[in-house]
This record gives sequence, C-alpha cells and structure tokens, in this order.
Amino acid sequence: MRVLVIGSGLGGLLSAACLLRAGHEVDVFERLPITGGRFTNIEYKGFQLSTGALHMIPHGPTGPLGTLLRYLGSDVQIVRADPMATIRTPIEKDSTDYTHGFQDIDFHDFGKRFSLLNKIKLTVLITTTRIFPPKKGSMADWCSKNLKDDWALRIADSFCGWALSLRAKDVPAAEVFEIIENMYRYSGSGIPLGGCKGVIDTLIDVITSCGGKIHTSSEVSRIIIEDKKAVGIVTDDGKEHRGDIVISDIGHIETSRLYDANMATEDMEKYLTSIKELKPSAGVKICLSSNEPLIGHAGVLLTPYARRINGINEVTNIDPSLAPPGKHLTMAHQCVEWENLNRLKDEIDLGLSDLAEIFAGKDYEVLLIQSYSGEWPVNRASSGTDPTNKTPFEGLYIVGDGAKGKGGIEVDGIALGVRNAIKDILNQKNQSID
Amino acid sequence: MEISKRCVGCGQCAAFCPKEAIIVKGIAFITADCIQCRICMAYCPMKAIEESV
Ligand SMILES: Cc1cc2nc3c(=O)[nH]c(=O)nc-3n(C[C@H](O)[C@H](O)[C@H](O)COP(=O)(O)OP(=O)(O)OC[C@H]3O[C@@H](n4cnc5c(N)ncnc54)[C@H](O)[C@@H]3O)c2cc1C
Ligand code: SF4
Ligand code: SF4
Repeated sequence: MRVLVIGSGLGGLLSAACLLRAGHEVDVFERLPITGGRFTNIEYKGFQLSTGALHMIPHGPTGPLGTLLRYLGSDVQIVRADPMATIRTPIEKDSTDYTHGFQDIDFHDFGKRFSLLNKIKLTVLITTTRIFPPKKGSMADWCSKNLKDDWALRIADSFCGWALSLRAKDVPAAEVFEIIENMYRYSGSGIPLGGCKGVIDTLIDVITSCGGKIHTSSEVSRIIIEDKKAVGIVTDDGKEHRGDIVISDIGHIETSRLYDANMATEDMEKYLTSIKELKPSAGVKICLSSNEPLIGHAGVLLTPYARRINGINEVTNIDPSLAPPGKHLTMAHQCVEWENLNRLKDEIDLGLSDLAEIFAGKDYEVLLIQSYSGEWPVNRASSGTDPTNKTPFEGLYIVGDGAKGKGGIEVDGIALGVRNAIKDILNQKNQSID
Repeated sequence: MEISKRCVGCGQCAAFCPKEAIIVKGIAFITADCIQCRICMAYCPMKAIEESV
C-alpha cells in the first residue's frame, strides 16, 4: 500500500511509523520547515521552549503513547514526575487568594480540605462513580450537585484547565472520571528527556530507517477524491501524488477544506454538520526563567485559587538540558474561555498578576508568552467531543488531537486515536497492529 | 513585514527571528529592528505574516 500523510505533528508521525512497520510505503507532507507540529522544541534565548506542549506526557512511560513508542522502536526515555501533582492552597482557611501565604499539599490528599461530611461523601462517591460513571452533565454540574463545596469546583476547574484547557462546566463529568481512572491505572505524567523534540527525533529516526519519506515546506492544497474514495493529494507546487490511503493530521474541519465538500450525499451532510459543532480549546502558556527552582519538582503545581493560571510545571527538575546551565524553565498554563478570546491581552495580564502572587518574593523573568486558539489551538477537538478517525470517504482518515481515542488526554489520546485508525486500515488488509 | 488578523500569538516566529525583532503578547508585533529577511514567514503555522507593500 502507498500511504500519504498530511502533517508531521505527533499523530501524523505515529501513523507513518506504524504503517511503515507493517511494511507499507509512506510519504509525509509538512507545510512548515520543521516537523513535530505543536509537539516539538523551539530554541529561545538558550531555552528549549516548545511549539505547544508543556514537555509533558500525561500518562507517563506506561501510558498509551509510551507503550506505542516502545512498540515502534523509539528509545526516548520518559521519566515519571514525582510527586505527580501538588496543590497550592491559601494558608488561612477562609482566604480565596495567595496574598496571605500558602501551603502546598499532595494531590492525593486533596480530600483533607473538605468538611467531615463531605469527606465521607467523597469516599462513597469515588467508589460509586468508578463503578457507575455519571452519564450526563458537566464536571461542574457534578461537583455542585454532589459536593456543594467551593474547593471541589476550584480543584475541578484547575485540573480541567491544566489537563484539557477547558472549564469544568465545559467537560462532560464522564470524561473527567475516565481520565482520573486512567491516572490511577498508568500512575501519572512523565517528561520525555530532550522535551517534546526528544519524542519527535526518535520517531523521525524510525520513519527514515524504515524507508519513509518526510517532505518539509510542502503544503497539501487538495485531496483527490474519486468515486467517494481518497486516491491522492496535490501539493502546493502543483504536483499530484497518488496513493491508497490518505491520513490527515490536521483535524476534521481543516481537512474538509481540502476536498470538494459539495458532493451532497446524506452521509456527507450529516458529517459536515457534526464537525461544524467542534470547538477547539484555547489557552495561554507563559514561559519563565529563574536561577533558583520556583516549584522544586517536575510534577504539576495546581493553582485553584489563582484567577486564571490553572497549573504550572518546572521541567528542568527532570531534564536540566532544557535550560542553559544554572537556569530553570517553568511553564504556566491558563485556559482561555471562548467568550474571552476577544480580550486576550487582559486575560494574559490576569495570568501575569497571578504568577506575581504565586511566586511572590521569588526572582524570575518572563521569557515568552504563547497563546493558542482557532486553527492552532491547544486541542482541535475539546476532550469528550472527538469524532472518530473515519470520514465519509473510503481511504481518508483523521488522526491527531482532532480525533483522539476515548479516555486518554492530550498526546495519550492522540496515541489511542492513531491505534484505532491503524487497526482499521490494517484490518482491511488482514493485518494487525499487535 | 505585517502581521494579519490570523495571528493567534503562538510565538513561533519570535524563536526564528535572527534579530529578536518580534514581541508577542496575544498577537505578534514587529519592531523597528526587523531587517525584512522574511525568515519568520515560513515558520508561522497560521500564515499570518505578510510582506508590507
Ligand atoms: C499551550 C499548549 C500546551 C500543551 N501541553 C501539552 C502537554 O503538556 N502534554 C500533552 O500531551 N499535550 C499538550 N498539548 C497538546 C499537544 O501539543 C497537541 O495535542 C499535539 O501536539 C497535536 O498534535 P497533532 O498530531 O494533532 O498535530 P499538529 O501538532 O497540529 O500537527 C499538524 C501539522 O500539520 C501541518 N499542516 C497543517 N496544514 C497542512 C497542510 N495543508 N499540508 C501539510 N501540512 C499541514 C502543520 O504545520 C503541523 O505541523 C498542549 C498544547 C498547547 C497549545
Ligand atoms: S523579517 Fe526577519 S528580521 Fe523581520 S521579523 Fe521576520 S525574521 Fe525577524
Ligand atoms: S508564528 Fe504566526 S501566529 Fe504565531 S505569533 Fe508569529 S505571526 Fe502570530
């Protein structure tokens, strides 16, 4: 089979490597001069910043991505963060900000802040919801219905903001419980040595050593469809490339702009209406430099009492090579609600003043402020809304964070989605991925 | 060089500018240090950088 991949983001490269391993011929086309999409490094003032991600793999070395990378022969080392997460809480019980001091508690102890009644409730709820996950409603609805506690909603918002760049009101409760279940199953996040690019470099090695080709600065301008089947692509130099399978790493919506969507069949109309509802999640990442560590561990510091910042990590506690000698790289993430996108600068200012409170008395410098939305978002399909990897056309598949598999977040969700797509493709050739 | 409304503020261009001529806060802004080398254009994932006419 000849396979054509549009986009060299993580989803595109993982798919390419899987199909090359199964003995097929693969060409990857990337619009930019660099590979890796929103999951690679960019050097800035000597720091290894990234094009998107916070150099973090949510489910660590044993999660879906770690497992798939090992299967593909990637030798990237993913180091588990310990502790997984701490939560910054105001020192005075009734205080709602950090100005009078704070203490950090371990994520597993978050139940300690509840009243005795809610502690008992929480224990019961955790067991019952693990067996009977809530079918309807958002995570915020679930918190206010079951716990009626300001702390619960704050934790939910800060966790959803950090992990999904969404408010708890915008995530289905069932999705959050599935994520928490997986956090226990895979026991927490990890940092790839070398950052995001550490992962991408090993994938490129796998691809090129199996004879795969990656064409950078080569934009796909059209997908060729014949008899409801994808049979090739056209690149911006006007060249036609024919193949048996087209895999797109740019999401359902952007992909639909590459073919003639006026072929009005009922399936097509249904599909186009459903993908129009997809809302990409938006967020801001603030990259900080310091001489002394600001957090002191490489897990996430959740900040439920900040106005905008949801969580912060300091990756140099695991991989010092991500900053110049003697420096630390700390990255803060804040979710931006869709209705606030038109006042992004004010949102960023709120984030910056949060950081001044969270790191009061510490010396740090803001390196770069990076914001993401629309066609270059945090996630193309916000968690819990992902369509499948299929399209109405035979031979055209979507991978990446616009078609994540259920239960895995971020790049682990991408790995699950890629597995599903590849399984389907190989099934039709009577091959299997395992 | 001109930044169009398509810019999301991802900062990717700033990392590739040889003159540190790009400031980013929600949107990119090109300073007077720019030497019109056009390097940043190729690296923008949003195709938001255009040559001034
Ligand atoms: C601020 C931020 C923080 C994040 N933090 C984390 C984190 O810590 N951990 C985590 O797991 N995830 C994180 N994520 C999410 C993660 O970065 C993304 O989900 C992931 O990188 C997306 O990969 P993808 O396969 O969907 O493709 P993309 O990375 O979107 O790649 C698509 C590629 O296709 C190319 N392309 C587009 N159009 C064309 C065309 N017509 N022809 C050819 N090529 C084209 C693009 O240039 C791009 O390179 C974060 C994201 C952001 C923005
Ligand atoms: S044209 Fe060159 S100097 Fe000017 S902003 Fe772009 S990269 Fe920098
Ligand atoms: S790379 Fe493009 S989208 Fe990103 S900040 Fe620069 S101009 Fe804006």
